[in-house]
Amino acid sequence: MTTVSQAPAATTAPPRFEGLRRFSRQFAASPTAMAGLVILLAITVLALVAPLFIPQTALEVVNATGRSLAPPSAHFPLGTDQAGRSVLTLLIWGTRPSLAIGVIATGFTMIIGTAIGLIAGHYPGATGRLLMMVTDWFIALPGLPLAIALAAVLGQGDSSITIAIAVTSWPGTARLIRAQTLAVEARPYIERAKALGARDTQLVIRQVLPNVAPFVLVSATLTVAGAILSETTLTFLGLGNPTDVSWGSMINQAFNQGAVSDGAWWYLLPPGIAIVIVVMGFMLVGRAVENILNPRLTSPS
Amino acid sequence: MTTQPNGTGRPDNTLQPGALQPYVPRPAESGDADGTPLLEVRDLAVTYRSGADDVRAVRGVNFTLRAGQTLGVAGESGCGKTTVALSLLRLLPVSARLSGQILFRGEDVIGLGWQKLRAVRWAQASVVFQGAMSALNPVQTIGDQIREPILLHEQVTRREADLRTAELLDSVGVAARRQASYPHELSGGQRQRVMIAMALACRPDLIIADEPTTALDVIVQAQILSLLTGLVADRGISMLVISHDLSVLGETCDRLAIMYGGRLVELGPSRQVLAEPEHPYTAILSRAFPRLGDPTSRLAPAGLAGEPPDLRGEMPGCPFAPRCPEVMPECRTHDIELWPAGPQRESACIKVLGDDAGQRPAETRAGESGAAQGVGTPLGLSRPRAEMSAAEGAEASSGLVPPQGGSSAEPPVLEARALRVVFPGRRGRRPARAVDNVNLAIGRGEIVALIGESGCGKSTLARALVGLVEPADGEVRYEGAALGYSGPALRSHRRHVQLVLQDPAAALNPRQTVFDAVAEGPRVHGLRAGLNERVYTALTRAGLRPPEQFMSRYPHELSGGQQQRVVIAGALALDPSVLVADEPVSSLDASVRGEILKLILSLRNEYSVASLIVSHDLGVAWNIADSVAVMYLGRIVEAGPVAEVLLRPRHPYTQALLSVLPDAHTGEPAPVLAGEPPDPTAIPSGCRFHPRCPRLAALPPGDARAELCRSAPVPVLPAMPAVRSAAAVTADAAAGSIAACHLELPHPLLTGPGQPSSQGAS
Amino acid sequence: MSNLAQLTSEGLLPLESPPDGGGSGGQDFLHYLLRKLAAAVISFVMLLVIGFIIFSLMPSDPVAALTRGRPTSAKQLAFLTRQLGLNQPIWERFAHFVGHTLTGNFGYSWQFDTPVSTLILQRLWPTILLMGSSTIVSIVVGMWLGIRSGWRPGRLLDRVSTGSSITLWSVPTFWLGIILLVLFSVGFGPIPALFPAGGMSTPGTVGGLTPDHILDVLRHLVLPCITLVLVVFAQYQLIMRSSMLDEMGNPYLLTARAKGLRDSEVRRKHAVPNALLPSVTIIFLQVGGIISGAITVETVYSWPGLGYLTFQALKIPDLPLLEGTFIIFSASVIVFNLLADLAYRYLDPRVRRA
Repeated sequence: MTTVSQAPAATTAPPRFEGLRRFSRQFAASPTAMAGLVILLAITVLALVAPLFIPQTALEVVNATGRSLAPPSAHFPLGTDQAGRSVLTLLIWGTRPSLAIGVIATGFTMIIGTAIGLIAGHYPGATGRLLMMVTDWFIALPGLPLAIALAAVLGQGDSSITIAIAVTSWPGTARLIRAQTLAVEARPYIERAKALGARDTQLVIRQVLPNVAPFVLVSATLTVAGAILSETTLTFLGLGNPTDVSWGSMINQAFNQGAVSDGAWWYLLPPGIAIVIVVMGFMLVGRAVENILNPRLTSPS
Repeated sequence: MTTQPNGTGRPDNTLQPGALQPYVPRPAESGDADGTPLLEVRDLAVTYRSGADDVRAVRGVNFTLRAGQTLGVAGESGCGKTTVALSLLRLLPVSARLSGQILFRGEDVIGLGWQKLRAVRWAQASVVFQGAMSALNPVQTIGDQIREPILLHEQVTRREADLRTAELLDSVGVAARRQASYPHELSGGQRQRVMIAMALACRPDLIIADEPTTALDVIVQAQILSLLTGLVADRGISMLVISHDLSVLGETCDRLAIMYGGRLVELGPSRQVLAEPEHPYTAILSRAFPRLGDPTSRLAPAGLAGEPPDLRGEMPGCPFAPRCPEVMPECRTHDIELWPAGPQRESACIKVLGDDAGQRPAETRAGESGAAQGVGTPLGLSRPRAEMSAAEGAEASSGLVPPQGGSSAEPPVLEARALRVVFPGRRGRRPARAVDNVNLAIGRGEIVALIGESGCGKSTLARALVGLVEPADGEVRYEGAALGYSGPALRSHRRHVQLVLQDPAAALNPRQTVFDAVAEGPRVHGLRAGLNERVYTALTRAGLRPPEQFMSRYPHELSGGQQQRVVIAGALALDPSVLVADEPVSSLDASVRGEILKLILSLRNEYSVASLIVSHDLGVAWNIADSVAVMYLGRIVEAGPVAEVLLRPRHPYTQALLSVLPDAHTGEPAPVLAGEPPDPTAIPSGCRFHPRCPRLAALPPGDARAELCRSAPVPVLPAMPAVRSAAAVTADAAAGSIAACHLELPHPLLTGPGQPSSQGAS
Repeated sequence: MSNLAQLTSEGLLPLESPPDGGGSGGQDFLHYLLRKLAAAVISFVMLLVIGFIIFSLMPSDPVAALTRGRPTSAKQLAFLTRQLGLNQPIWERFAHFVGHTLTGNFGYSWQFDTPVSTLILQRLWPTILLMGSSTIVSIVVGMWLGIRSGWRPGRLLDRVSTGSSITLWSVPTFWLGIILLVLFSVGFGPIPALFPAGGMSTPGTVGGLTPDHILDVLRHLVLPCITLVLVVFAQYQLIMRSSMLDEMGNPYLLTARAKGLRDSEVRRKHAVPNALLPSVTIIFLQVGGIISGAITVETVYSWPGLGYLTFQALKIPDLPLLEGTFIIFSASVIVFNLLADLAYRYLDPRVRRA
């Protein structure tokens, strides 16, 4: 009997993280998924190291060195804004608030949404129905008007945008997690665990959560994508921190200060393209994970 | 129909095993007696492209079907039988590559252009798919769906199509007014009838029936089969029936083809193939569906060890060689094909080639248990190895005495007393009385089979016994003590009484290794000391040897049989006294079924673990149970020792269940029951079986007892005293059975409701 | 006790429903309608509560929030305090709030000095015109592409249309609007200024139902509509594609093929009607997303609708006006949810005749 603990070494049985390994293999096999992952890694690194080579002072209007709305040149690879600052510098710096708000808002969304989804799915009786009623009320509220109302009342700033995004996006996650929890709870292995005598907490933690976790991951990736879009939209509408530089505020200033009529494409295009690239990075990764979890979507029959 | 004198008829029902009367010459011999056959399949091979490895699902299949004939194709899941069926109309997914020839009226379907192929589809050959719920479009009325092929293939007006649809529905026993119904408004049996009506819509020459009755209840299954064969015979339509169930095919088909690993391994007239299999695999398959009353299969389920073949890549030699109980060295090298094995018979076994047929196998597989040697023996009686099997069967039986055979005075280990389970009605539905006053007792080391149709409450009763469903009334007793429904009481109950579920693939968490799945129970109950030993022992006892090889695997890496062993090991890890198994083998292949039943039997014999086996299959009861209880609409209608109930059924419902079995040995012929499985939300008054009861229907008009059946409730059966398994083999007849029927003679046990007498068992 | 199986009578009954003559559809429908109406009413009450919390309770000093950073006269301050009724108890304020909302009295807009209801009524039709036209185009384009993509996944059409859907989903609406504005309205490089830059009609022209005016409005509509379509159709395409994929493996399609139907007939007669069921509901629920798009598109193109009004209110911020638009937007989402339920019931016989 003592051989039991050494047994795995002697057998051909697959290692413990076989599932994860298979997942990584499938993920790596998808070019779009890898492209998304590379984008996300690059942008994250850029956002983290930006303060190392861009001094805060370079962002202040009073320290601007260029002409107003100058087209790209050797010194200013992406031209300048209306105040004469380098668009490239602004663009790199703008990564930070967009990513930070997107990720933090998603964190809140996941915590609230997963908790409510799991509870509502595990107790489908009165508790679950009540929680889902509340969730449905929030789903009935249109996202942007609610976020605008919240941000307007809470005042301009990053925290109110974060709260506004979290409040509008948790119901979707809660619904998804509840649906998955219900699906898992209907599986016979849950009944088997119950018949073995498992308590509610043991059931949820040992049986349900491991099977729902991948969907939390998918939901998180897609939520970050949505949150970044919401963040830029709210900032564009003027609800962001007025002193901060972000992609949304860059487009806002370009739009309001004549870049449109001057045809200053170098000021208008880069922040928009940056948003598209980052959002797509999250989208591609999220969809790839979803496809691996749910192979029906990919396999052509 | 055809010029063939016997071609239209079904095989002679009086054909005795061994009497090899030719009734249809083989194509090779008959050649041009009546022109080209309706369907001729030559060297059909189908390969599915999937990733790196191609799956060669069908590997060279040849057969011929003449007009008016029916051919059955049998085999286990993954053998390629459905692929063969779908390839006939080229209905396979695009990843499939076909080669060979499929000659339909002499024209090769494989080479046909799309336009011509569409004209063949349904107009000349139609399909009855399995699972009519999903094979019918849920958002179209059934009338529209039946009319669709008529309007598509024939120049008829809408009015004519309407008329024909009504006629078709009428011919399958569905009221024509139901044309406007949607599939979800029909019962399962009715939907399958609609499928049949649809298949007949364009008066085809061939009907391909792919598992036409799988997933239906036994009685409905019998109704559908007789309907289908009757309609097909009347109209002279040829039929190809695909099934995993040999008994279905034996009843339906003139000829039978057995498939294994993408090839036909045996082909011949149905009765002969079943009675005297030439191929060892056929023998095993036919033994897996036991004949009630056959002493060799009583308490000796037949199975087949080993795993099904891997269909990727080449398979040199005989695909069955790795599992064959009679394998010879040449089997692994010789290429195997169908060889003539007597008149009209063909078999893909090397034995039929030479004189070595009677020779003893050169190499015998060492099975895990002694019974494995007997698995290859056929039911037939004319061969030497049959005697060997009978001898072994007797030997096995004599070893079945449980270690501690308790006296009948000992209290049952698990008991239901006057148990009722009611589910509240929802959305305007009345409450469902799923279990309605049931007494049932399971003695120490006893195996009890609980038999009934879907919806009869048998699964609910099983869950109530485990404590997963709280009864509305009555009690569950473990070792004489009533079960309380507090958390701690339930947890301690669940250490002793374990549940084994139907579908092992679903009953295992896909993210848990075998070790974690088996250790789940001990962990839940805080038994962390010696966990490794516990799991090791449980896996060993469940027949997963050596256990180290399985511990770190995931469920999807195991075969169905291995998965079910893991589930059972998970139950054994808590050293239970009772296993409650809900259809433990119904999702498993025929050959694996026997292996799992053997395991349950050996757990009783070696460790005195009692079992309640919930099943729709009377063969399971015959295979392993000591006593049997038949349930109908929330009540137990008949209970007693297996041999007594199955061989001398007293309740008309039991008789009806038995009458639909192919080899029924019932005393009086009972007609197939009409109607559908009953509804627990609307239980009739009086005897709850009376609306379907053939015995009541046969009463002369004015018989006073009819009123009794319609209005007087039948006394509730008391729990049968435990049947001692030693007696179960030898002296079944001594112990009587009890039946809840007004028209049965009063039984000593039924002197007063709820007053069990002690005379019954002795 | 809580770990007793949550079995219902449905879990126990045989899967097929007992045969009956189809049931009494009329009364069932009334029940269903009443249930859904009740749910909508409860949603609306909750909306009022949330609106009250946001606009009356959350601003710690609503007057300061209203006038933040702007010079405000004492008269204005007094007006605001009185209008907000800050000295009254909370229930009374809620009762006032509900009463006013239900009678359409959202108070006076602070910046326009006009009743909010009047402003909303003025701006309603342009928004309906923009949202309606773009939704119809989006549904037609998105569903068509989604059906084709889901029917033959992995083919060129699928890859192109799904790829562009994902890309367009990732594009911020307002930025896309600005780019189209630069390209086709301001004119860029060789592209002439094809369409007007903003508004709903050329300033100074006469309104009314004259052909000239209608043509003028249509010319103004083109760019905002295209912007909204580009963003919104992507969602419909992805939803419809996924619904089609869900139906692909279903055996009833095999039955349809076996009957000898052409591939296109199998798709049209069997796959699409089934795939539409889940899609229709989701599509109705997308109206919240369209509203969000409309706010930014109207802002970029100065389209005189409710979205632009919201943006104008936001800049001040003009809380009564924001509150009015918020209530209107949210109420319309509730109405569309109700319509989704009714449409689903109409389309799915399993629900219709349950």
